[in-house]
Amino acid sequence: MTMHAPAPDAAKEPGRLAITISGLVKHYGSHRALNGIDLEVRRGERIVICGPSGSGKSTLIRCINALERHDGGSIVVNGIELTADEGTVQDIRQEVGMVFQHFNLFPHLTAIENCMLAPQLNRGLTKARAEKLAMHYLERVHLADHARKYPSRLSGGQQQRVAIARALCMEPRILLFDEPTSALDPEMVNEVLGVMEELAASGVTMLCVTHEMGFARRVADRCVFMDHGEIVESRDAASFFQAPESQRLRDFLAQILR
Amino acid sequence: MTNLSLADLAGYMRQLGEGALITLELFLTSFALAFIFGVLIGIATLSRSRVVQGIWRVYASIFMGVPSLLVIFLTFYGGSAMLGAVLGEFGARIDISPFGAGVIAFTVVYAAYIAELVRGAIENLPKGQFEGARALAIPPAIMWGKVILPQVMRLALPGLVNVWSFMLKETPLVSLAGLQDLVAAAKIAAGATKEPFIFFVATALVFIAFSALSFRLASRLETRLDRGQRREAAGRSSSRAAA
Repeated sequence: MTMHAPAPDAAKEPGRLAITISGLVKHYGSHRALNGIDLEVRRGERIVICGPSGSGKSTLIRCINALERHDGGSIVVNGIELTADEGTVQDIRQEVGMVFQHFNLFPHLTAIENCMLAPQLNRGLTKARAEKLAMHYLERVHLADHARKYPSRLSGGQQQRVAIARALCMEPRILLFDEPTSALDPEMVNEVLGVMEELAASGVTMLCVTHEMGFARRVADRCVFMDHGEIVESRDAASFFQAPESQRLRDFLAQILR
Repeated sequence: MTNLSLADLAGYMRQLGEGALITLELFLTSFALAFIFGVLIGIATLSRSRVVQGIWRVYASIFMGVPSLLVIFLTFYGGSAMLGAVLGEFGARIDISPFGAGVIAFTVVYAAYIAELVRGAIENLPKGQFEGARALAIPPAIMWGKVILPQVMRLALPGLVNVWSFMLKETPLVSLAGLQDLVAAAKIAAGATKEPFIFFVATALVFIAFSALSFRLASRLETRLDRGQRREAAGRSSSRAAA
């Protein structure tokens, strides 16, 4: 196992594991997008996943909340094994929030309505309580003043922060980020990373696919490097950057940090 | 001007009014049903199942290809026979009224057009809208109702307005199966009084008034469905605020 766990006893306590992935396989036709992935994520751990495009990193996190169905291996999220059963899928999605590259806000709803929709439906909150909750999280991403605006009137960075607030309104224990800053203009990247760093400090479990190596260095407990549907290297952030073991990671870092 | 007495004129106009109500009733019932079935069929056609695709293609090519008048006649004259074949003697005893035949025919024909519009609009929505809803654990029925269809309606609205006006203009066809609608009433009045001009123009005016009203409603609906889309309007109001 390539995992360098700071707390060696963590893996022995299943209650402390947020996600357990073993032998995960995903095909697209004859192409093997994921080729036997093993990954354990502890509660509160912040993991950055990077790798060249087509390496399977987005597919991996999209399998965790069943946006993609895996073809082999197993995924256990907070003790629930992900199966084809719709009820199980819904249970897991309640525990896992996701932030997308292209925000995926609902354009016909205002920022606050975007945030209120799921809590009202899934958690049975009254409108007033959902609104209070949504406002709380919009404040947390520093957008309380923009709550009544439609997404089209917000900048990309603001839209992505609304999307983060929307995910937080489900009060998930795990957050997945799929290249959250890749579609943003450069001047908006930092406002989103700033919010993500604040979240990281709050103790939520985070899995983040990103090429923001500065962010990885500052917040990640562990960095995972993927290539050709496999995890090539997985270690703590400091040694990931300073002493990469594999040639593939060295080449990748040389490319991206140039 | 003519030898038509005012009392006669009023009488015929009242008949025209009654006919107009029947036309309106026929139209609104048919459109509502065609809309409901069209949306459901539109969603169903997204299925990749070959059986579903096959049924859809046959259905669409028949009812988009055959003139509505033929469908009305087939339903009206052949309907009882068809019901008899399906339901046995019980079905054969059910008589289909001209109104019923019209509603069935328009529903079946226009549901195909509406399904085509809805299907196109759904395919034009970014996949991320579905994924966003799924990731939030929003159940499918609510996802369609609250997230997808409001956006689909915005995209499909111009097409739906076309279908609406087309269908309105086709409603007089049912008078050929014996429905006493607006055009049938006008024809009777015109024949009896030898004053075709007055009654046909009056009839045309009713259609014009109704479609004018429809367009006003449609533009209101457009404003509502476009909420969150109008960057241009937003820009205008903020530039006014700046000035």
